[in-house]
Amino acid sequence: MALSPFGSRSPSMTVHSPNTAIRLRATAAQNSVAGSTAAVAKPMPDGDRELTEQLNIEVRERYVKDKKVGEGTYAVVYVGHLQDDPSSRVAIKKIKVNAEYKDGLAMDAVREVKYLQELKHPNVITLHDVFSSKDQNLSLVLEFLPGGDLEMLIKDSDIHYGVADIKAWMGMLARGVWWCHENFVLHRDIKPNNLLIASDGEVKLADFGLARSFADPLFNMTHQVITRWYRPPELLYGARQYSGAVDVWSMGMVFAELLLRVPFVAGSTDLDQITKICEAFGTPTEDNWPGVSKLPYYIPTDKAQVVPLQGRDFFLRQFPTAGPVGADLLMSMCALDPRKRSTAVQCLRHNWWTMDPRPTQNQDLPRKSGGTQKMGDDLTRRGGELDEGMFKNAARQLDFGMK
Amino acid sequence: MAPDAASRRDEDEVCPVCKSSRYLNPDMRFLINPECYHKMCESCVDRIFSSGPANCPVAGCRKTLRKNRFRKQTFEDIGVEREVDIRRRVMHMQYSQINRITSIRLNRREEEFDSKRAYDDFLEQREDIIGNLVSRIDVAKTEAQLHKYATENMQSIRANQAIEAEEASSFQARISLEQEEARLRRQAAREEYETERREIQAGREDFLSKLASGSSTDAAAIAREGHKVLLKKSSARRSEEERIRQKQAALRSSELKRGSNLSTADFAGADTGLVKGLRKIKTPEPEKPYDPFMGYVPDKRDYYTLQSYYPSQYLDPIRNDARMLAGGYNLQDYYSRTLLEAFAGLSCFIGEEVSQRDAARVTKPAATEGTALAAESGQGV
Repeated sequence: MALSPFGSRSPSMTVHSPNTAIRLRATAAQNSVAGSTAAVAKPMPDGDRELTEQLNIEVRERYVKDKKVGEGTYAVVYVGHLQDDPSSRVAIKKIKVNAEYKDGLAMDAVREVKYLQELKHPNVITLHDVFSSKDQNLSLVLEFLPGGDLEMLIKDSDIHYGVADIKAWMGMLARGVWWCHENFVLHRDIKPNNLLIASDGEVKLADFGLARSFADPLFNMTHQVITRWYRPPELLYGARQYSGAVDVWSMGMVFAELLLRVPFVAGSTDLDQITKICEAFGTPTEDNWPGVSKLPYYIPTDKAQVVPLQGRDFFLRQFPTAGPVGADLLMSMCALDPRKRSTAVQCLRHNWWTMDPRPTQNQDLPRKSGGTQKMGDDLTRRGGELDEGMFKNAARQLDFGMK
Repeated sequence: MAPDAASRRDEDEVCPVCKSSRYLNPDMRFLINPECYHKMCESCVDRIFSSGPANCPVAGCRKTLRKNRFRKQTFEDIGVEREVDIRRRVMHMQYSQINRITSIRLNRREEEFDSKRAYDDFLEQREDIIGNLVSRIDVAKTEAQLHKYATENMQSIRANQAIEAEEASSFQARISLEQEEARLRRQAAREEYETERREIQAGREDFLSKLASGSSTDAAAIAREGHKVLLKKSSARRSEEERIRQKQAALRSSELKRGSNLSTADFAGADTGLVKGLRKIKTPEPEKPYDPFMGYVPDKRDYYTLQSYYPSQYLDPIRNDARMLAGGYNLQDYYSRTLLEAFAGLSCFIGEEVSQRDAARVTKPAATEGTALAAESGQGV
């Protein structure tokens, strides 16, 4: 294991293992994470079921629920602790079964378990265990993150932060995203309220309800992912094959939001979102984004209304606090053409991180109380939703009637 | 020293060097030199040492004395005088400037020690040293020790000296501040009493004049009114006083905080040869440059190098599919993933890891049958 940077990746751990039973057993042996899905999975031979049930009970009895901290349509979140260590804190996310999916589990829960158990990194929320309760509700035992989320800090006008703090937060975000991509997982819902803060100030990527692994060639992925304000233009244009560049765009939007303290391009509908992106960054054309017109929902713009691609001085003017190098990094994250966008590794290799000011130490980062409640709210939300009242009932995706 | 007792003893006091008595020379003053503590009168000092250093005139004492180091005796008992000098030299004040380490300054502070015990040991050691010097046991050795300590710890000695001076001055400042505050409080109380008295007076006069001008029926009402006004005024005054008092308290606490901001010498270093049990002071390591990856190594491949193109009939059409490319799909990711999965698990030995894990778990409650079974089946995979 020491030789590989990819942690506990063994053949039996890969996502597309053909034999579920074997995978389950192997996973249980390695970090006793699974055991859970067994109860709701396909019927198995008798010996296996007994084993998995036994494991499940063992895992379940290891945790004690203390207090409910949040409830949504999709999940309930409790604060709990380990049976034999009352000082430990964990968050237990209990997925409501049959909330929408009449047969089986909600996709979000399956995705969350599937990808979180693969990812172990300081900037990704840790999934300690999974178990199912007697009524076959799935419970995820997650890391307890009492520091709230980045959105809370952005919105609180009493909190002042500087470029060194932004650099520290962005660094942690970029590392989390990079780790996902390094393990071929697309997060697909990066936004400030999915960036939870641990008690030591570390930012952790949470809510893997929309995550998926990189698609094999010619496989279609859905384009109806990522909360609208953070959705990249290729998804708005309906691309079905895309890459980690979608997460990098969201990262750029979070960066801009951290700098401005308001969402940078906040469209009220998907169409409006495209318009706002065009106004801000320039209109996508065949010149600056070869092949864009082939995308399903691409709308050609009149020659007269084409906004030229924004150059470096636009970013310098719009985001003076970032400084020239920071603006440069932001610009590379917000390239319209996903192929020209930096990848997460390229972002981390940018020289902005190493130049002055140095990123703030975790313990000195601004923080705010009341994070437990916020964590509860964040963990109960469905992926891709905006919780702003104004757009609460807006359709998630409009059919432009082009195709 | 009571004045009459002193004068009585003074009568027959004789200078041991020139034998002149106080009877003949009423203004006679005795001086001593901390080299040998032999007492002699002022005129003897002038006579013998004015032309430069000379030997002590007392028979058998060969110490070379200098005139500028003669001083008045503080304590009557010359033994006490000497001990105080030694203590002073070892711990506190310095008194000589010429060609010797003037004071050793064994002035470690309690904060500098690991434990109370270590500090007590230090105090005891210091007393031992002083005792040795006073009763002339191993003087040469002790002096050498102290000398060495002084040269080695010049810096922390200085720092502690500065702290002592600051403490003294801040104590002075606090005392004067408190005095000033007390004076202000007294003044305020006096003024308050005056105003209250005046107001009561004025209220009474007002009340009387109202009674004089008004009709007899509302006398009671007027009386009640007057009383109420008085009460209101005094409560307003009380809240004002409270405010002032709070302000003063806040001022005082901030003052105190400033005063307690002292810290000990940070560069004391490890145990010096002489003093044991000093707290280790770590100099903070220079901050490492920020690593955006925090120790993880990107693109680390143990068994293969990733190429930019692998010929394949199935994948080649994608390279020209404008729509897929426009969406940002990256074949490189697919290559990378496929190769990683092909090589994943090489040099990972689950059996070993499981036995390691189980070894680590020995202290914890033993793994149940179920996990053991699962572990075995895991090995088989």
